[in-house]
Amino acid sequence: MLEMHGISKIYRTDLIETHALREFSLKVGDGEFVAVTGPSGSGKTTFMNVAGLLETFDNGTYRLDGDDVSRLSDEQRSKLRNEKIGFIFQSFNLIPDLDIFDNVDVPLRYRGLARKDREQRIKSALDVVGLSSRMHHMPSQLSGGQQQRAAIARALAGDPRFLLADEPTGNVDSLMARQVMDLLEQINEMGTTVIMVTHDPELARRAHRNVHIVDGQISDFKPFEPNDDVPSLNVGQPVPATMAPA
Amino acid sequence: MIAWNIRPIASALWRNRTGALLVAFQIAIGLAVLVNAVYVVKQRVEKIGRPTGMDTANMIWVASAGFAKNYDYDTSVREDLATLRGLPGVKAASLFSNIPLSGGGSANGFQNRPGEVPPKESVPGNNYDVDEQAIAALGVKLIAGRPFEAQEILPASKTFDTSPQAIVTQAFAKELFPNDPNPLGKTFYDGLSKPIVIVGIMEQMQGAWVGWDKLDHVVLFPRMKDGPSSIYLVRTEPGRRDAVMRDIEAKLGDSNPGRLLRWVRPFDYFIDQSYLDDRNMAIFLVSVTSALLAITALGIFGLATFNVSTRVRQIGTRRAVGARRFDIVRHFLVENWMVTTAGIVAGCGLALAIGYRISVEYELPRLDLYYLVGGVLCIWLIGLFAAWQPARRASAISPAVATRTV
Amino acid sequence: MLGYYFQLAFRNLRRNPGLTMLMIGAVALGIAVCVMTLTMYRAMSGNPIWWKNDVLYAVTMDFWDPQQPNDDKKPALPPPQLTYRDAMAVYRSDIPKHKVIMHKAIGIVSVDGQQAKPERAATRVTTKDFFATFDVPFQYGGTWTDAADSGPEPVMVISRKMNEKLFGGVNSVGRRIRWNDNEFRIIGVRDNWLPLPAFYDVNNGALEEPEDVYIPFGWNAALEIYSAGNTNGWKPEDIKTYQDFLNSENVWIQMWVELPDSATRDRFQAFLDNYAREQKQAGRYQRPINNRLTRPDQWLIDNNVVGNDDRVLVGLAFAFLAVCLLNTVGLLLAKFLNNAPLTGVRRALGASRKQVFMQHLVEVGVISSIGAVLGLALGGLLLLGLRALYTVDPTDAGGTQALAHVDVTSVVTALALAFFATIAAGLYPAWRIGRIPPASYLKAQ
Repeated sequence: MLEMHGISKIYRTDLIETHALREFSLKVGDGEFVAVTGPSGSGKTTFMNVAGLLETFDNGTYRLDGDDVSRLSDEQRSKLRNEKIGFIFQSFNLIPDLDIFDNVDVPLRYRGLARKDREQRIKSALDVVGLSSRMHHMPSQLSGGQQQRAAIARALAGDPRFLLADEPTGNVDSLMARQVMDLLEQINEMGTTVIMVTHDPELARRAHRNVHIVDGQISDFKPFEPNDDVPSLNVGQPVPATMAPA
Repeated sequence: MIAWNIRPIASALWRNRTGALLVAFQIAIGLAVLVNAVYVVKQRVEKIGRPTGMDTANMIWVASAGFAKNYDYDTSVREDLATLRGLPGVKAASLFSNIPLSGGGSANGFQNRPGEVPPKESVPGNNYDVDEQAIAALGVKLIAGRPFEAQEILPASKTFDTSPQAIVTQAFAKELFPNDPNPLGKTFYDGLSKPIVIVGIMEQMQGAWVGWDKLDHVVLFPRMKDGPSSIYLVRTEPGRRDAVMRDIEAKLGDSNPGRLLRWVRPFDYFIDQSYLDDRNMAIFLVSVTSALLAITALGIFGLATFNVSTRVRQIGTRRAVGARRFDIVRHFLVENWMVTTAGIVAGCGLALAIGYRISVEYELPRLDLYYLVGGVLCIWLIGLFAAWQPARRASAISPAVATRTV
Repeated sequence: MLGYYFQLAFRNLRRNPGLTMLMIGAVALGIAVCVMTLTMYRAMSGNPIWWKNDVLYAVTMDFWDPQQPNDDKKPALPPPQLTYRDAMAVYRSDIPKHKVIMHKAIGIVSVDGQQAKPERAATRVTTKDFFATFDVPFQYGGTWTDAADSGPEPVMVISRKMNEKLFGGVNSVGRRIRWNDNEFRIIGVRDNWLPLPAFYDVNNGALEEPEDVYIPFGWNAALEIYSAGNTNGWKPEDIKTYQDFLNSENVWIQMWVELPDSATRDRFQAFLDNYAREQKQAGRYQRPINNRLTRPDQWLIDNNVVGNDDRVLVGLAFAFLAVCLLNTVGLLLAKFLNNAPLTGVRRALGASRKQVFMQHLVEVGVISSIGAVLGLALGGLLLLGLRALYTVDPTDAGGTQALAHVDVTSVVTALALAFFATIAAGLYPAWRIGRIPPASYLKAQ
């Protein structure tokens, strides 16, 4: 589904040239759950921006569903992001002046769907993340975990080809973090591809596959060894009742 | 497919309404001021632009004041007129009792029949005592009748006295004889029932006071103005006015020690003086209104810029989830349009209220609705123009902003 | 603490010079336009004899056309001037402390043996009390006597300006001077005097300079002088001679009296009413008795000295100021809210709401002070420009000189207006910024 080959991204200022991504290649197939890991400054964010069509790249090819995206105009890229990618940001990025319903609505509006269609999608997305009762609350009235779930609903509502998650549990407490991860797994099981960028090896473990970036390049170095002292969550188990969404 | 997003934009705007309300108030005031200022300025410009009926560009007024005990007024006037009429470039010169459009003059009530008439039927007219070259000197168009003849000119009278003939303006004749399409030759009367025959009708001429609603009611009598001061009207060939003015100064300045040649002035001097207040009012209104609209535009610009700068992250997020650059521009223009329209709605009421007040105080016709429509369109355009650049800048915000932390 | 706030204020303002200049500019502009318009308005509407407003009265009597009032728009008011007969008759009363009957005329003034050309002089033909009634100052000499009025005696008072032109400014009392070729003797020089508006004679223009020559009232009959002001009449009369004119119903004489207390005022009113009754019985007029004694401030209103245009302009000026201030409030609000994170830190470090409020109010105060001073200076410049607009002929500038003359009261008022208006505008933003819970701005988001 997603093919990046030999991608380079260089940031230039008057004084410095930073090679954020160097000969970076990655293939992601339908239904995969991939974690992209690496220390801070490794180029994870740049990878996010390029993969998510938020920024252009300097060299290499990027094919999304077989289409070459490098020569697309800004308008075409926006359309592609809208239809194919569901973003989940580390700082949620919910619009504070809109309620949850309207927040989830934002990408749907840009797609130009009819009102009934949008309403239906929003409702079912909020259902999946378990926030139906909070549809008309403001983001400031929700906890961190709930806000992230709302953001996930926003990402889902448009039926994207893949979710692109950036440290999805970074700003969330550990209890909620598990819920968020469970949700991501659930969504992945329902068929949506998930690409997650994280520095947390714990989270990375829950993915099917890990890709490790160091200094803008993929490294073969395995980031962790299984350790008996660290409890691990089993993939595929139902969420215990005590951790059900509030 | 364009998503207008009106409801979400409106509810987000309402949640942060202080800044928007401040701008909306400015817009309300701006609209009210714009509409009424244009209304008043238009009235003034029309007032100043009324046709005088006279050849004012080529007319010179000369004032002479006799003061010596032995000053022979009649001879002096005869000599002066002869000199003036003999100057090169002069078409005609006449003795006048007052200067039209100067703010000073004489007016009396006339009637279309002898005896006592109710005050409502007394027709006011600006009266001037003039000589046989008056019509030529004024440059007015006679639509009926003839100019005065030399033998009709009566000697001076110290107090107001009519003559047996008069040349009047069309407007005056119409009010005297409303049912008569051709009042030439008809007789009208002064307050003492003395008869006056209309021997000429001028298409248009204006009297002394520009603020008087009977400005175009003029009555010329064939009579010499009384001394010791005289007022001469000199009409020149086109383009010769300034040269003739110099000639007059030279020839009449010291020609008679018993009198003072007070001044030689072009007609424009008096007309400008008369309309000075109106002209200045128009200038004030235009200046202050423009400044006010400029400041309002600045306020709109400021609000839009502020909104963009506080929402950088939000804009980046919207772009990330699929908004095109144009969608962002549209978002801000729509938001701006809402604020402007709110101000316009409030301003309409204010504009009409002020317009009503002005029409009552100035006794003008009511404010036409198309002023309001024009004003609204103008304000909308100003709002669009002021918000354009911030909106463009917003659309340039990169979607990568969304992935930045802090 | 206040000093610290000032430091903070200046530092904040310097950080964003563009925004600061914008705010100061908006305030200055609004104030400038207001100063300009209000000064003009004051020139038109001020009462230049306010200290005598309670004792001076214009005398008017309604001997007008029985079928319609003098002014359709103000039907209750008598005509603003008297007939010659009535003025002379009423002048005989000795009830008022001071009394004046007068009119304007034009004469040619010359001095024998001088090189300078004779000059046209605006002249006031008046009885002797003119100067005492209106508190007109003398530079040299003084006014004439009753005998001079009735004689009439060939005495004259000239203005300081004319005295400087004709005699080089020396004490010219006793010198000979010609008025329309009649010989007069100077007995006084009036010092500089420019009451604006010219309330005592509203006939020709509110911003005119006062006359340069004063001669006793009896000269109008002696020299057959007609009024150079307004002469109005309702009745068609066959006026052939000057005497006919004096006997006619034409009104052309202004009359003022000084009545120091209400008892005197009542007595004078009774006298007027009595006179009117006599005239009515003699069949002279048929309107209801309507003799009015009007104080200067009301007189100015009755005679429309302040026109509609002036009122519209004042309204416009305030609308403009309102827009400027609303703009400033908006800019202040934006600026303060933008600074909220820093304020949040201060609050976290212990600043109370009141202290935050005071700090921001001081910042507003700095802006308003600078804006006020600038606005005043700009307003002064605008007034100079105004003078140019009002002058068709520079030699004729006359009373419009005073338009550029901003007196102390105006300056103080304008400064106060500017300062307090802006402070009021800044109150809301300063209060608002104190209200924000500090925590909300300390988060990374």
